[in-house]
Amino acid sequence: MFKNYLKIAFRNLQMQKLYSLINITGLAVGLAVCMMIMLYITHEMTYDRFHTNAKRIYKLQANVKIGGNTMNMNYMSYASGPLVKQSQPAVDGYMRTLDYHKPIIVSNPLTPETKYIEEKVVFADSDFFTFFTFKLISGNAANVLSKPFSVVISKDIAKKYFGDTDPVGKTIRLKTDSAYTYQVTGVAENAPSNTSVDYNFVASASSILATKEAKEYNGEQRIASGSFNLFLLLKDAADTTKTRKGLQQIADKEKSDFEMHYKLSSIGSLHLANNWGDSSNLKYLKIFPLVAVLILLLALVNYMSLTTARATLRAKEVGIRKVSGASRKTIAAQFYVESGLFTVLSFILGYLLCYAFKPWFLNILQLKIDNSFLYSPLVLFLLLGLLLLTALISGIYPSVVLSSFKPVITLKGKTSKQTGGAIVRKVFTTLQFGIAVGLIICGVIIDRQLYYLRHADTGLNRENVVMIPVGSSMGKNYQAFNKDVQAMAGVSNVGTSHYAMYGGYDMYFIDGKTKDESIALPSLSVDDKFIQTLGLEWKFAPEPNKLLTGKNTIVINETAISDLHLPANPIGSFIKAGNERMEVAGVVKNFNYSSMESVIGPLGLFIASDTTSDWSQAGCNLFARIKPHTNVPSLIESIQNIYKKYDQDTPFSYTFMDDAFNKQYKAEDRLASIFSTFTYITIILAILGLFGLAAFTIEQRNKEIGIRKILGASMATITTILSTDFLKLILLSVIIASPVAWYAMHNWLQNFAYRISIPVWVFVFAGTMALVIAVLTISYHAVKAALANPVNSLRSE
Amino acid sequence: MIKITNLEKFYRTEEVETIALNKLSMHVDTGEFVAIMGPSGCGKSTLLNILGMLDDPDEGSYVFNSIEVAHFNERKRADLRKHNIGFVFQSFNLIDELTVFENVELPLIYTGVTTAERVKRVEEVLDKMQIMHRRNHYPQQLSGGQQQRVAIARAVVNKPKLILADEPTGNLDSSNGNDVMELLTDLNEQGTTIIMVTHSEHDARYSHRIIRLLDGQTVMENIMV
Repeated sequence: MFKNYLKIAFRNLQMQKLYSLINITGLAVGLAVCMMIMLYITHEMTYDRFHTNAKRIYKLQANVKIGGNTMNMNYMSYASGPLVKQSQPAVDGYMRTLDYHKPIIVSNPLTPETKYIEEKVVFADSDFFTFFTFKLISGNAANVLSKPFSVVISKDIAKKYFGDTDPVGKTIRLKTDSAYTYQVTGVAENAPSNTSVDYNFVASASSILATKEAKEYNGEQRIASGSFNLFLLLKDAADTTKTRKGLQQIADKEKSDFEMHYKLSSIGSLHLANNWGDSSNLKYLKIFPLVAVLILLLALVNYMSLTTARATLRAKEVGIRKVSGASRKTIAAQFYVESGLFTVLSFILGYLLCYAFKPWFLNILQLKIDNSFLYSPLVLFLLLGLLLLTALISGIYPSVVLSSFKPVITLKGKTSKQTGGAIVRKVFTTLQFGIAVGLIICGVIIDRQLYYLRHADTGLNRENVVMIPVGSSMGKNYQAFNKDVQAMAGVSNVGTSHYAMYGGYDMYFIDGKTKDESIALPSLSVDDKFIQTLGLEWKFAPEPNKLLTGKNTIVINETAISDLHLPANPIGSFIKAGNERMEVAGVVKNFNYSSMESVIGPLGLFIASDTTSDWSQAGCNLFARIKPHTNVPSLIESIQNIYKKYDQDTPFSYTFMDDAFNKQYKAEDRLASIFSTFTYITIILAILGLFGLAAFTIEQRNKEIGIRKILGASMATITTILSTDFLKLILLSVIIASPVAWYAMHNWLQNFAYRISIPVWVFVFAGTMALVIAVLTISYHAVKAALANPVNSLRSE
Repeated sequence: MIKITNLEKFYRTEEVETIALNKLSMHVDTGEFVAIMGPSGCGKSTLLNILGMLDDPDEGSYVFNSIEVAHFNERKRADLRKHNIGFVFQSFNLIDELTVFENVELPLIYTGVTTAERVKRVEEVLDKMQIMHRRNHYPQQLSGGQQQRVAIARAVVNKPKLILADEPTGNLDSSNGNDVMELLTDLNEQGTTIIMVTHSEHDARYSHRIIRLLDGQTVMENIMV
């Protein structure tokens, strides 16, 4: 019997090619979106869960309260590891890792001229490969990192520096503060994409403590904050509270001018909890499951709507089968088998689509997901679940509707009274268009807000400014480099700042009115040309001949006047930070020095002369304003040539300030791209659904159309009559969707300190678009019906 | 085989109630060939639907093979129907997506006959109907006469005790129509009871007895000799 069902399902599929294509493609698109999102979410949720001891590994972190400000402490001192283990009986082991944040230049001593800047260099305790579950391809996990200056490299790095030869036993040069030769003791599999302990190089921690930088990284000889990630292996996962309390007691005993509150975060929770660099991932995790369910629902609704709409054609078959002895149950089973077949085909196509569009999707999200993850048992299990769920849901409605047909009626060719579910389909269509309209509205508003962010006046002129990072390797040559760039014909101004614009700031704590008050003041270290180069304007200009570069002078912005409780014109006032007194020498007008998601906070500018040697020691950024009508690529090339003259170690790189500004909205940009894709998919699904519904409804009205034509109705009249009913549904969907979309976007805009107000035309636009799309979709069927010969439609009754 | 007593069937809309069968009583013996005639709207098709257990009566009794079936639910009727009754329609009602062979095979599938047995029985009946050479064709590829022979083959493949024919020659020319009537007569002679609704006096003459209906009641019976 099953074979017979499959046979007729296949023949139906072949005979109704267009319908089958629409139906399968629609469902496949929905499934593909669902799979991709499922993949992404599973990947995010399984971070660091692959470690054998994942349930017992915790990271020690702390909240530190200084004055009124709370800060997160992610890192502990080197000595903290053994001290914690000694003091806390529940701690079985510890692992310290140092993520080296400065650029590291790496080369193979055999080919010293080929150098690369490398990231993801981790300095770790010797049992790194036994503490964590990372696979070693060669080398002994127990002792690969036991000696100073030994390093384990990833498979990709091995290939990059040593080609196909075995790197174990060979040497590699890593330049941190200066160049050191490391012995390669092992090769590890590349770190999986779902780990927060990411590495290309794992070097022994003893190495970095044998360099000149040791003091900087060693930190205090007690349990205190420092530079190392400290992972603790507890004897039992239930011991977290005990351990945290024990550590807290130690901290509370020590006298300190700040409060420290320890917390232990399980390694599996780190990725989602510590997303301060790019909080977009969390946004996606909230939005995407909703989108996945919504799109799959739309696709399923479509499938059901189209399948039951075609019921008229199948009614006779149902009748004959019932007359031939089929019960309602066997008919229901038959349509379930058909739905199952369609679902399986859609699923296969969906999987292929998902596979084909995955790189594109991941690129937008700026994500990497290992291919091996695609075939992991968990993902396969979830996919199977998705398939079963889809098959189950897609089959329910059609089999209920179709199996209820009464043979007495269908065999006489009268199906109009019992094709059932007309209202259900109307609800479906309204829902689909409602969602499409809602997404269009949201998409347009997101787009307008992003445009606004990019083009708003932020108080500084960021066009035509190129920022060039300069490392300590340039050393004393920086002054000469600065002068040479300034002398170029295409350059109008040159300034220097410790940080790149929008790349960070230092935080000073200024004494407030009372003893306990301490005010956080973000500050930038800049040179005396900075203000001019960026086109900042003075609110209160410094007195003529006043030396701004003095050690105890500071320039502040407007916001800082009130935040620091200074008089309306604060020139000549003093502020105190610890033991230092600083004179306010000038006030610049407010400008956005970070993302426009937040209001402009207070800011201090510490100004040094461009000749100060500090610039070369700590590294800095050179800002060059390019004159209009300059050939930018050739100018950059000239700057690069000058740069190479002064620094052969650190490769040249540059960023335009407006790019850096725009990059702050990367998360929003990605959200917008993803959003528009989802909107298109929803619109396509809505069109398919309406197409099916229109075909069905108009077919049912064939007799009416025939009679109207015989009585003299024109084609235009008939098309209008047929379209009106649908357009009412679309209008209803616009009315329902608009307030929902307004509410959602109103909330989203609250994330931005600077935002647009939602314009009314957006709703009109989305509504009009929905109507136009609907009219075009319906008109195909309406015109066809209006053109048909009424004799045929009347005879068929 | 069939005994119906005071059978009533109404069709209601919001405003009007139409009586399709009005306290109709009749009986059909095993092995009979009965024709039912009457003008449009006299209740012929309603009666045939109730006899075929596709529809249930509002009032009255219907005894089929000594079983009272008037108030059977759908599942029970379907069960009784598939083992005992074959249908032949004016418009053939073949499934367009299935071949001749598969159409005839259908009732056997629903009664759970094994594959080997199915092939044997379908081939047997196709042979008898002289359409064996068309076994792999689809209905649209056949003439009307051939389609009706397939439909009859399907009706008899399960060896039903009763065949209900609803104007079996209505869509056929006279030559093909006569062939179909000959087939039905043969089946009857081999023991199958046949009840046939028809407009054609010519066709009705093949039967043993003609029951004439008007306004849902029997108005006359002709016994053929």
